[in-house]
Amino acid sequence: MYTSLSNRRSFIKKMAMLSAMTAAASMFPGILFADEQEKGIPDNVNLDWKKGPCRFCGVGCGILVGTENGKAVAVKGDPNCSVNKGLLCVKGYHQIMCIQSKDRLTHALVKKNGRYVQTPLDEALDIVANKMKETIASHGKDSVAMYTSGQSTIPEGYVASKLMKGAIGTNNLDCNARLCMASAVTGFLTSFGADEPMGCYEDIDHADYFVTWGNNMAEMHPVLFSRMLEQKSLRGAKIIDFATRTTRSSTASDRSILFEPQTDLAVANAICYEIIKNGWVNKSFIEKHCSFSKGLTNMGYGLEDKYKFKDKPEKIDFEAYKEFLKDYSPEKVSKYSKVSVKDIKYLASIYGNPNNKVVSYWCMGMNQHTRGTWMNNLVYNIHLLTGKISQPGNGPFSLTGQPSACGTAREVGTFTHKLPKGVVMNKKHRELAAKIWKVPVERIPSKPTYHATEMFRAVDRGDIKFIWTQATNPLVSLPKTSRYRPAMEKKSCFVVVSDVFPTPTSDVADVILPAAWHIEKSGLYGNSERRTQHWNKMVEAPGEATADAWMFIEVAKRMGYGDLFPYSKENHVEEIYNEYKQFHEGAKHGMAPLEVLKKESGAIWPYVNGKSTQWRFNAKYDPACSNGEAFHFYGKPDGKAVIWQRPFEEAPEKPDKEYPFWLNTGRVVEHWHTGSMTRRIPVLHQAMPNAYVEFHPDDAKKLGIRNGENIKVSSKRGSCVLPASINERGLPTKGQVFVPFFDENMLINDVTLDAFCPISKEPDYKKCAVKVQKV
Amino acid sequence: MRKRLGIISFFVIIFIAFIVIWNYSYQQGLEEAYTPIIETPTGKYIPSESGVFRRFDDAGLGYANMPVDENHQRTLKDYYDNRAYPGAPPSIPHPVKKERSLGGNTCIQCHQKGGFVEKFNTYAPVTPHPEMVNCRQCHVTKKTNTTFKEFAFAKVRPPKVGEGINNAMPGSPPMIPHQLQMRENCISCHAGPSAPKEIRVTHPERINCRQCHLPSVIEQVDHNVFSRQTNYDE
Amino acid sequence: MPIKSYLVHPHRGRKKELIKALSVIDQCQIVPAENKDLIVLVTDTETGKEEENLKEKLEAIESLKLLAMVSGFNTP
Repeated sequence: MYTSLSNRRSFIKKMAMLSAMTAAASMFPGILFADEQEKGIPDNVNLDWKKGPCRFCGVGCGILVGTENGKAVAVKGDPNCSVNKGLLCVKGYHQIMCIQSKDRLTHALVKKNGRYVQTPLDEALDIVANKMKETIASHGKDSVAMYTSGQSTIPEGYVASKLMKGAIGTNNLDCNARLCMASAVTGFLTSFGADEPMGCYEDIDHADYFVTWGNNMAEMHPVLFSRMLEQKSLRGAKIIDFATRTTRSSTASDRSILFEPQTDLAVANAICYEIIKNGWVNKSFIEKHCSFSKGLTNMGYGLEDKYKFKDKPEKIDFEAYKEFLKDYSPEKVSKYSKVSVKDIKYLASIYGNPNNKVVSYWCMGMNQHTRGTWMNNLVYNIHLLTGKISQPGNGPFSLTGQPSACGTAREVGTFTHKLPKGVVMNKKHRELAAKIWKVPVERIPSKPTYHATEMFRAVDRGDIKFIWTQATNPLVSLPKTSRYRPAMEKKSCFVVVSDVFPTPTSDVADVILPAAWHIEKSGLYGNSERRTQHWNKMVEAPGEATADAWMFIEVAKRMGYGDLFPYSKENHVEEIYNEYKQFHEGAKHGMAPLEVLKKESGAIWPYVNGKSTQWRFNAKYDPACSNGEAFHFYGKPDGKAVIWQRPFEEAPEKPDKEYPFWLNTGRVVEHWHTGSMTRRIPVLHQAMPNAYVEFHPDDAKKLGIRNGENIKVSSKRGSCVLPASINERGLPTKGQVFVPFFDENMLINDVTLDAFCPISKEPDYKKCAVKVQKV
Repeated sequence: MRKRLGIISFFVIIFIAFIVIWNYSYQQGLEEAYTPIIETPTGKYIPSESGVFRRFDDAGLGYANMPVDENHQRTLKDYYDNRAYPGAPPSIPHPVKKERSLGGNTCIQCHQKGGFVEKFNTYAPVTPHPEMVNCRQCHVTKKTNTTFKEFAFAKVRPPKVGEGINNAMPGSPPMIPHQLQMRENCISCHAGPSAPKEIRVTHPERINCRQCHLPSVIEQVDHNVFSRQTNYDE
Repeated sequence: MPIKSYLVHPHRGRKKELIKALSVIDQCQIVPAENKDLIVLVTDTETGKEEENLKEKLEAIESLKLLAMVSGFNTP
């Protein structure tokens, strides 16, 4: 906002106003002056602006969608939303453009004699319901499965769970959040007994240091990163980037530290070693609020079908933990992590200095890890040992990648072992679900069945004979798609795909159902900071495209479960949310009432007595704390958080003579998930039309590879040809190549390994061994 | 005698202490030396990515608080008139101070941070690449307005600016209609008193420009660009 | 011609009332905070005398709890 010297007076007025606002901001951090920001937005068109959350990543920015004559024509950041304060990223600004794409799925398609035939939706739903009933009748309940998404809305996830677990009575329900958030969930549950971060985004306004663990926030969570940069220039907060690849975030941070893939486990332990050695432990905090445990080691990697693992936790004491850490002195760890002793000590001192407020951020780097649960535990250890947790500006913060990974997948529980409250293994939780769902408790099975990877293995084996996927694209996003694509093509399994656009997954479907997009239906999402966000339908969906939730309900009715789904078409979102809300009643997880969500840009749960709880487990902010102390980790029966003894273990597949490179996969700022939406937005496609394989310049030189040359990347499982990229978006370390996974024409997941964390069952997309050849 | 002994032993102690400390630090130095550390690339690593953030490291210019002097603004026309074609290095439209210097410590005096120059009655434009000190490798002066022979180079039209030209929707952020090489530092041309008035940014306090503004000019050849094989509409 | 900016604190629950009262005064420009009980006020008057009168007027507003000046300019 620039001013003119010729209009000196208005300039001075503006300065006077700014100084007052600055003063206000220093007195009340987080204060918002919406008026001022709204003025900055060009408003030359007379549009009707409607509020909602962004469709893309898990940050959950507030957006305002401008509609004109029933069409969405513009997007701007919602200045009243505390998440983004009016700012969006390029994907957010252009999101609505994808729905105008000409190849939009507008009608149901049914495969007949190898060809897709346009079919009235009612008829297609009949086919789906009949096929589901038939399959159950001839092969049993556990032969049908549903694979949903962290992009499903809360009502969609809820009816999916109710249909599968409550009505049909099978736990064959899992979702793509298994591929991105499962390790975060098991990390939270093992350390604190309660899922989801204790802090919130406001931590950014208070922290002195941001440590990002394997996380390129400048591209993946750009709005939060911009908030960090703002604090950097305002208050001198520092950003420390700890990663295996030099990225846009590294170039913007104060220090970038690189490590050898998988050794983050060892470095985290070395940080704890240094904290204890230098007496930086917050003794009173760990005495009052922490216990120590160890679990099984050498768990394996889940590479074989029907792999099973159950951890056996065992209590230990502080001395035993100290003894264990002796193997992790910075000197020892430095040798294989390739991080200098100085850098390890530097990281430890950042956490150790009692005057520093530190927030750790991470996302897929730590979660998509064959020891993802451990890695999550280890970062919690650092924060627990130093007592830097659950306070403004202090705490570990696990970011999410999908708009409702928290709201739907984790809170509603669209995982095989989950119920809207608790887990299927727990009798009390099953009883509560049965009561609210009004079904006999015996109908909800007590044993979890297939997690995502195993679900598609079961399709391959022929154990699953009917699968229905919604709002996700597993044949691009699963690891080792070279196995699962042929599996889904098999005649033995009937495939139903609900989606907005055709994808490689819908290519193998027997029935394709046209889904309404985000703003074409009402719904609720839940973002990374426990914020529940509601939006109302803004535009009509084209053709027969219908909200996923309503398609579930229609199928349920056709299967004879109509009495369990007594919702109305117009109001089903509200009716379902109000039913779902009963599960979470109480101070620990109370959800905000719909009236509040409609008015405000979301509210953070636990929502107690009309107030969001920004910092959980801290008695000052969290009314659920009941032990009379400053902190109460009420997720655990003894009220104490657990510091876990978790060792370093090797990756399942490491570079060798034949396959000499690490393969790392990820995203770019332009595209989101498998690109089925973002690639249909011209601006984004033009900026990033295809995937690439990134080399370190030295490796490229040695192999004689030039920018843009076609390179075949192959592993033991499959191969993929991509153009080389040198010194462009990112810089992998020597001996590593990086490929973004959004491109359905260059399927890098044909190459990746389907090894997963034995505790969370989340696959590791960041490490496998490949070779590269010019073609 | 006693005094002398005292002095000698004092120096002996200092000497021993020196040896001990020196040895210790030498050992420490050795310890790190044999671990193969992954060095963080320093300096100009991934220039296309780091350039956008550079302004905060050295210049520290408060772009957000710079008032605009409307009487001495540059226009986009001035900007392009000084270049052979869009993206070409601008020529030097004024006499140079020291003919024999590379430019590193001459040009930079005015062009690193900018500022009003009384003599030329204008603000000095800020260079997006102050680290490249051989300025006159690319930037030359203009001593005559004539040409050697008749001249037929068709000047490419510069990209247009304005609401609705580079942006996809009303109010959405405009895309970048020019190449980025050597112009990675957006702020140097898009903010401050020397910025051409048509392309001055309204929010110079934002830092990660390419969070919202993407290049719309892609230099690479299309590789198997997004295409779907299946056609359901049969 | 004095220009002054203030932070204005309303009495509890009377922010709306205060905004209304301030917005009818010609010399006042206000920006209310969205999430806190606070209003930024910029006054723009022609003379020092007018400024003093305005100040008295402001202090007479009932819903106003506290008026804290942040900055002041005087342009010729």
